[in-house]
Amino acid sequence: MLTEVFTLRQSEKEERLRAELVELVAHHRRNCPPYDRILAALDTDPEPATLAELPWLPVRLFKTRKLASVPDDEVIRVLTSSGTTGDVSRIHLDRAAAATQSRMLARTLGTVLGPRRLPMVVVDRAGVVGDRRSYSARGAGALGMVNFGRDHLWLLDADDRPDVAALKDFLARHGDAPFLIFGFTFMVWRYLYEVARDHGLDLSQGTLVHSGGWKKLADQAVDNAEFRRRLGADTGLTRIHNFYGMVEQIGTVFLEGPEGGSLYCPDFADVIIRDPVTWEEAPVGTPGLIEVISTLPTSYPGNLLLTEDLGVVHGVDDGHWPGKRFSVLGRLPRAEARGCSDTYTGGR
Amino acid sequence: MTVRMRFPAGPDLPVDEVLPATGETPLAVGDERVVDFLTLVSRRLLAPALARRHPELGSLGFFLRRRELLRAVERLHEALGPQALAFPRGVVFHIPPANVDTIFVYSWALAALAGNINVVRVSPRSAAAADTILEVLNDSLAEADPVVARTQRMITYGHDDAVTARLSAGCDLRVVWGGDRAVNAVRQHPLAPAARDLTFPDRASFAVLSVAGWAAASPAARREAVAGFVNDAYWFDQAACSSPRAVFLVGDADRAEPVRAEFVALLGAGARDRGWEVDAAMAVEKRVGAYGLAADGAVARMAFPDNLVATMDLAALAAAPREWLGTGTFGFVTVTELAELVPFVRRQDQTLTHFGFEADELREFARQLGGRGIDRIVPFGAALRFAPIWDGYDLFREFVRLVTVEI
Repeated sequence: MLTEVFTLRQSEKEERLRAELVELVAHHRRNCPPYDRILAALDTDPEPATLAELPWLPVRLFKTRKLASVPDDEVIRVLTSSGTTGDVSRIHLDRAAAATQSRMLARTLGTVLGPRRLPMVVVDRAGVVGDRRSYSARGAGALGMVNFGRDHLWLLDADDRPDVAALKDFLARHGDAPFLIFGFTFMVWRYLYEVARDHGLDLSQGTLVHSGGWKKLADQAVDNAEFRRRLGADTGLTRIHNFYGMVEQIGTVFLEGPEGGSLYCPDFADVIIRDPVTWEEAPVGTPGLIEVISTLPTSYPGNLLLTEDLGVVHGVDDGHWPGKRFSVLGRLPRAEARGCSDTYTGGR
Repeated sequence: MTVRMRFPAGPDLPVDEVLPATGETPLAVGDERVVDFLTLVSRRLLAPALARRHPELGSLGFFLRRRELLRAVERLHEALGPQALAFPRGVVFHIPPANVDTIFVYSWALAALAGNINVVRVSPRSAAAADTILEVLNDSLAEADPVVARTQRMITYGHDDAVTARLSAGCDLRVVWGGDRAVNAVRQHPLAPAARDLTFPDRASFAVLSVAGWAAASPAARREAVAGFVNDAYWFDQAACSSPRAVFLVGDADRAEPVRAEFVALLGAGARDRGWEVDAAMAVEKRVGAYGLAADGAVARMAFPDNLVATMDLAALAAAPREWLGTGTFGFVTVTELAELVPFVRRQDQTLTHFGFEADELREFARQLGGRGIDRIVPFGAALRFAPIWDGYDLFREFVRLVTVEI
């Protein structure tokens, strides 16, 4: 599997990233006054010796404050992510940042998809992309991915029912050569896996790229290993790549290796698992909060973000690709306080 | 449209059977039968085994002691004089907050002592202490006069607007706790023309620490003060309306810095000693809150020495946060004298906890405020102590109606 972006061993990557990020942090401080005020209040070291010492922001801050490093008139796109509580992240991209993110996403996924566009099944409905000016998370995910394929089949109809006849037709035309499947993990399971199994469809030439987490499948006792095993056994689909990414670091995806089970960091990105008490880097094998690191964000200060996801590093420079390999274990529950407020919310 | 009967415990009832048919109360202000019942409840709450499990029920037990109840009735009559007679309002509908387990009892007990028929909505999300109180109330019923069970009702129902509407239309006084959102939501439901609301909207609270007073205090007094502050701040995750969100150091700026440092050190130690913990989710919440404030330019310096305590040196007095920023997040700002706080204070501000001041200083400050904000000024450690005068209301007075007789 040829790759342009999974090449660096950890020590070399850390030194490169550290140097680039020192510059990027300085760039954002110059151009994003709220970000500068935060780092000034934290009195951070402008040139720390290690990657782990660079200052991170809690990712949810993009839901409570506008943080952009370019003037409003240079913003060509504002990405939003929907949160469970209704508040959304707002991510401001200028022309250069938008171009970089899609180019780097293409290089990352090109590692597993190859250089040519493949016929593509999207496990979603066409309408999910919707209004191009204001993206939903699901729509943005699908829209970001459709460029990697051609002759698209949107598997679901307007009522979210899988169109089995259309899928059979797609496989009759494209099923003998490599093709691409994209979808959110639980939707792939519910709408593609079950349909393909029940109709005896052959997906063995497909490459599946999926994301979105396991929470909705937990009650069916389906984890990553079971997902891969059953898809392989029942549909022949074995090229399966989960990925982890978020709108707040658009263009950066942490991609599951071909052997399955571990996510890898592209050369321009990394993760640090932090102990939630000391906030120091946790040792290999010890779970903690995931800090995602990427050099891509230039139009907003999103290079170093503490997520509310729990993860664990399984190993360093010991997997299919070099660098850290890790898993996402789940989400931190939202903090809830006792207190006098917010009791009766009526019917709304 | 049925509701769960929590007190007196029993089968679910249709909402129309929760309120007595006539709405006329058979009770008098300070009714002996109610006093007897509350006394029984007080004794049970003060039983050592229970108080150990739920320390907050101990203060409730003290509040309901016979002597306290009789004194409240006596004070009312004294204040009224011979020309006014006090009677129950009629039916009082209480909507207490879900997360502060004991408020519903204070609110209800005073209204019951005033002789009212009461319906209390106990939230389905209420915590263990609430269940314990309901058990105590039900256990005490056997020895009580049957009129108590006939007139006092505690019910639970989900977000059923129809139930709220029915009870709102049938009451003489509606008591709404739980902040702005709760008040606004409940106000969608009309009251009878002669009825009215007693509302407890969102409030913010602060602490003042005298630099000179701190210097004059013994190490033991300082530790005790901080222990009280820890209780004020951490008991309800700093989210209670009366929990301090910021500390104003009052005095000489140069001398304030070491005082602040010692206070923060004792605060961390005190919170740890009391066994308070801040989990990962809350620690992240605090970063989101404090970083956001810093992004706005309100914070000159912030520090997160551990998950329990986060400190923010505020850029200005006006930057002091009124919103909740996560458990154990404290703004600090130094002012030369209390009077400097006057322009900062708003109607929304409720409790000011204090340490190291003379009584006259605090009274003078209250006069300067002129009632435009801050309803109670209490020592460190007393922020959460419920008092019958709350948010500027003398609750017992609110629960009675007056009839005047002039000769």
